[in-house]
Amino acid sequence: MSFIARLKGLLRKEQLDRELDEELRSHLEMRAADNLAVGMSSEAARIDAQKRFGNTTLLKEDTRAVDIIGWLDECARDFRYALRMLQRSPGFTAVAVLTLALGIGANTAIFSVVDAILLRPLPYPEPERLVRVWESSIKHDSPRNVVNPLNFLDWHDHAQSFESMAAISGLMTNLSSQGRPIAVQGMQVTPEFFSTLRVPPLLGRTFVAEDGIPGHERAVILSFDLWQRQYGAEPKIIGAKIDVDSVPYTVIGVMPRDFSYPKFKSEVWTPLPLTRSEEWKGGRFLTVIARLKPGVSLSQAQQDMLRVANFTVQTRPDNNKGWSANVFPMLEDVTRGVRRPLWVLLASVGFLLLIACANVANLLLMRGTGRLRELAVRSALGAPRSRIVRQLFVESLLLTLAGMAAGLVFAQVGLRSLLALIPQNAPLPRSEPIAIDARVLLFTFLASLFTAVVFGLVPALRLSRVDLQNALKQGTLRGGVGGHQTLRRSFVVAEVALALLLSVGAGLMLRSFARLISVDPGFSPEHLLTMHIWTSPARYHDNLKRSQYFDRVLAEIRSAPGVQAAGSTHFLPLTERISGSCFSFADQPAPSPADSPSAQFLIISSGYFQTMGTALIRGRDFDHRDRFNSLPVAIVNHAFVHRYYSVQNALGKQLRVCWDIEKPVEIVGVVADARQAQLQDAPKPTIFLSNSQAPMYFATLVVRATGDPIQIARSTEEAIHRVDPDQAVSDIQTMETVFSDSVSSPRFQAILLLVFAGLAVALAMIGVYGIVSYSISQRTNELGIRIALGARAADVVRLVLCEAFVLAAIALLLGLAGSIALSRVLQSLLFEVTPTDPVTLASVCFLVLAVTALAAVPPARRATRIDPLIALRYE
Amino acid sequence: MSKPKNDLLQGTLALLVLKTLARGPLHGYGITLHIQMVSKDFLRVEEGSLYPALHRMEQDGWISADWGTTENNRRARYYRLTSTGRKQLAEEEKNWERLTQAVAQVLRFA
Repeated sequence: MSFIARLKGLLRKEQLDRELDEELRSHLEMRAADNLAVGMSSEAARIDAQKRFGNTTLLKEDTRAVDIIGWLDECARDFRYALRMLQRSPGFTAVAVLTLALGIGANTAIFSVVDAILLRPLPYPEPERLVRVWESSIKHDSPRNVVNPLNFLDWHDHAQSFESMAAISGLMTNLSSQGRPIAVQGMQVTPEFFSTLRVPPLLGRTFVAEDGIPGHERAVILSFDLWQRQYGAEPKIIGAKIDVDSVPYTVIGVMPRDFSYPKFKSEVWTPLPLTRSEEWKGGRFLTVIARLKPGVSLSQAQQDMLRVANFTVQTRPDNNKGWSANVFPMLEDVTRGVRRPLWVLLASVGFLLLIACANVANLLLMRGTGRLRELAVRSALGAPRSRIVRQLFVESLLLTLAGMAAGLVFAQVGLRSLLALIPQNAPLPRSEPIAIDARVLLFTFLASLFTAVVFGLVPALRLSRVDLQNALKQGTLRGGVGGHQTLRRSFVVAEVALALLLSVGAGLMLRSFARLISVDPGFSPEHLLTMHIWTSPARYHDNLKRSQYFDRVLAEIRSAPGVQAAGSTHFLPLTERISGSCFSFADQPAPSPADSPSAQFLIISSGYFQTMGTALIRGRDFDHRDRFNSLPVAIVNHAFVHRYYSVQNALGKQLRVCWDIEKPVEIVGVVADARQAQLQDAPKPTIFLSNSQAPMYFATLVVRATGDPIQIARSTEEAIHRVDPDQAVSDIQTMETVFSDSVSSPRFQAILLLVFAGLAVALAMIGVYGIVSYSISQRTNELGIRIALGARAADVVRLVLCEAFVLAAIALLLGLAGSIALSRVLQSLLFEVTPTDPVTLASVCFLVLAVTALAAVPPARRATRIDPLIALRYE
Repeated sequence: MSKPKNDLLQGTLALLVLKTLARGPLHGYGITLHIQMVSKDFLRVEEGSLYPALHRMEQDGWISADWGTTENNRRARYYRLTSTGRKQLAEEEKNWERLTQAVAQVLRFA
């Protein structure tokens, strides 16, 4: 019968039901009338008619099964039946739903993060054509190095694979708005920046080529947020003049609300004026984005860039020897650091879901065995196997749907606490919101469906294969399905093995994290307050004036109450920022920059080391003698002297530095090593220059308080404003916060893996408990006989535990094999811990055995209390 | 009421119903009576099989049904043969003949 006809039948169900009733009634009446006619009593006539008809309900059912149907109708019935079955065993239902909800919830939460950060395309048109281009140097082990301006100009003019290419330089900017200065993040970009991303402005226009020409009227574009916050969302802002770093700029555009650039929360964009002048020859500091021409592949672009890079090596060998270029897809590039940790987390919750499935499948199997009699009766009444499989599967589906609903609640709560683990000002690779949206819901739905199939279909097929008729005849259904025991045991073994795998991962992460935070950073973060200041080039263009300004600010802060010491550095430790440049030894002939050794450079004030608590090993700190025009001096760290001199003879040596200092600098001090970019990076050779002699435009002030550093934030800011009331101060935070934020990513991973492993172990424990209890209930008879024959309690416990430990041992082997196989995946996420760390593996194995014992002991103790008489009579 | 009961061969019911209806429209009860009478009480159609079969044939388009009144003024559902049903009848008759011939041949040989 055609499906359509059935469907039509279903829609007209009511009417057809009535017609069928009437038809059958008329049939009955005709039969009764005929019976009367042949002389039966009216009662007998009716009864006979009814009798011939047999079971009216069954007949109606059968007829309707043809008519309407069908399976939709039957499914609804199956659902109602399943609902009743689940209501009848609330304990089972609760455990199953909760287990599934945990698995589904954890997967939903993690997937929403993975989706938002790794999978969703970047929020620009045709994002797959966007790339980032870096300089690369094998010598400096740097495949993604920021780019030299002249090289960028060559790339821009000579590369043929790109529709457009733009360079970015990030900076802090002071805006003054209605008198008060505010510091905002800004980006200097070449004119093609917005057209490369293909994002049109909300108001006005974006940059054109003329905007990039020095001397042209200065143009600025505002972010939506800034426009709302500072300029009252006034549309007439276009064409208005605002002061950017004390220089008047014309507002030419406002970007849409959702426009953002990965990893960089910029609020103003100004043109980056690049020219082919000698002053740009040296440094590398640009980030370069580009849009591939349609049809150009990544490898073609890479080839093209190698060619262009080769050209730059030939035209400026001094700066470019040993340098080349690399092209990476933009999405891959911005998510580079988080991709592996996120996939590891997603895989972990995947394992968790599998464990949950195995657990529920086992619960279903055990319950199914208890229900064999019911199934046998149904089968005897004529239900075909497909009916029984469907019935069981519908129950699983119902469980999953409930699990999914509860799981979404878990996911919502979980996601919120998960996002709370990410520090506020951490530069996430993507700024789009992470939330449970339609895509995530679809994933959850598919994952749930998968779950239902995995844990529901296997037991359903398995149970329905039992010879139910036979089972019914035997009268005893206990132990009649021995084959399932193996299946159940395999499920438990798989559960424990996966739990072990997750525990190993969590253990490694935890150990790695413990190692990381016990690293001596080389300074003491307690009692330290930090804040960022940026001076306007227009007002402090003069180097001498600028260096004096910083000196006065520091002097004023040092005299504030509660302040023990103060200093400044251009890059704060543990904020993943560091400058690198070349240097050479003044007593040797000067090599070209490309052939020179390189070191980390930090521009600091006098008193910085004292404030940070970094020990001075030899010589002296910078002091009042080191003025702007006095003999330039430097301090180097232990790693530097270890590499190039010895601690004894470094003092007095002279270095030529590729920095804004013409004369050679003399080493006047050696300091102990401290961690700079991140805690896990071993200290590198570092040259410290004095901010008085090579003044920067920005600095992070570090202030050591006698008490709680937050208490002196106000007085410090006031001290700064006593020197310059227009100085904006930003990023006020304690060094302890900076420290804690800097390890937030490994902490995030360790905490999540720990939670998942904990859940996995708990689920596995339930699994072991279940299988042991069940096995004892199956062996009551045997154990009764043993006890009757004189087995002691200890013997019974041993017997039962033995079974559990055999399972645990198999799981242990499988789990260990699995963790060794997967060890390569974790390698790059670990700090000073090998993925096959014996301590971790041993402790996790011990934990798994302990948990197995813990789960198996209660049922084992119950087994010792079996009364042999009752046990034997029970059969 | 212990008449010998002859379960109809699978598929035979359809043939008998189609043949019965070939004479003209009839309701379900009439069909059972007709078959019983013509077969001289040898074949008895179970209501439990008849109605599902009728509805199935209706769905398949071999017969169509309408409400009508009996001679005794009862409402009843009358089934009539459609042209598809007529073709189906011819087909089934042919099959039946082939089957009985085959069975007869086997019986003669055995």
